[in-house]
Amino acid sequence: MDWYKKIVKEPWPYWVGGILIAMVNVVLFYFTGKPWAITTGFLYWGAGLLQIAGIDVTGWEYFQRSEYLEVAEKGFVSTHYTLLNTGIILGALLAVLMASQFKFKKLKNRKQFVVALIGGIIMGYSTRIAFGCNIGGFLSAIGSLSLHGWILGFSMLIGAWIGSKILFKYLI
Amino acid sequence: MRQVRIDCMYEACPIPLLKALKELEKMQVGDLLIIESDHSCSTINIVEWAKKQGHHVDYQEVGEGEWEIYIEKAR
Repeated sequence: MDWYKKIVKEPWPYWVGGILIAMVNVVLFYFTGKPWAITTGFLYWGAGLLQIAGIDVTGWEYFQRSEYLEVAEKGFVSTHYTLLNTGIILGALLAVLMASQFKFKKLKNRKQFVVALIGGIIMGYSTRIAFGCNIGGFLSAIGSLSLHGWILGFSMLIGAWIGSKILFKYLI
Repeated sequence: MRQVRIDCMYEACPIPLLKALKELEKMQVGDLLIIESDHSCSTINIVEWAKKQGHHVDYQEVGEGEWEIYIEKAR
């Protein structure tokens, strides 16, 4: 089965993924009025869970400057981010299941755990300070002809360069 | 001809590529490097990189979601 191997089993070329993402992003923008973003959804979930835990974040200056207050009124789960992010996870799951490449991945060692945790915290913090990750702040920003996407992209390039130097020299 | 095997299981981009790069630097022309990985991107980025460097490269899926990438150092 040649088509099965090509479409389901083997990874698609980068340019095919790029065109498809661009097309879906345009459709998403048409229907929701907002281009694709991911981490803002994490922010709303994080803030919502803190509220449930009894920590009132609505008084924090950061949240007063964001759309969170409107989101909190409707319930933090009921945003389009929740739907999109769940969709990404389910879609990825479907793809690996169809390719029969599903696998539970273990933590390799303590070092991987610690480095990943620190990396995750830095990334999460940075996306909120920059108001976007590589999707909302870079991909969708450039697609919207906004200058900040190019600035974020260029800064990411420098960060990735420094990051890989550190990784290569000290971590592997 | 020497054979070196590196374990990149449970590791995501770009670690497998960087590990391969580091290992290849220590190897002689004609040596074979085998990379064990369960990260599907590795079969693209390592293979692409090795081709660009002019090495002989191939890969196969040895288990469900597990690959072995073979690089013969050519220069």
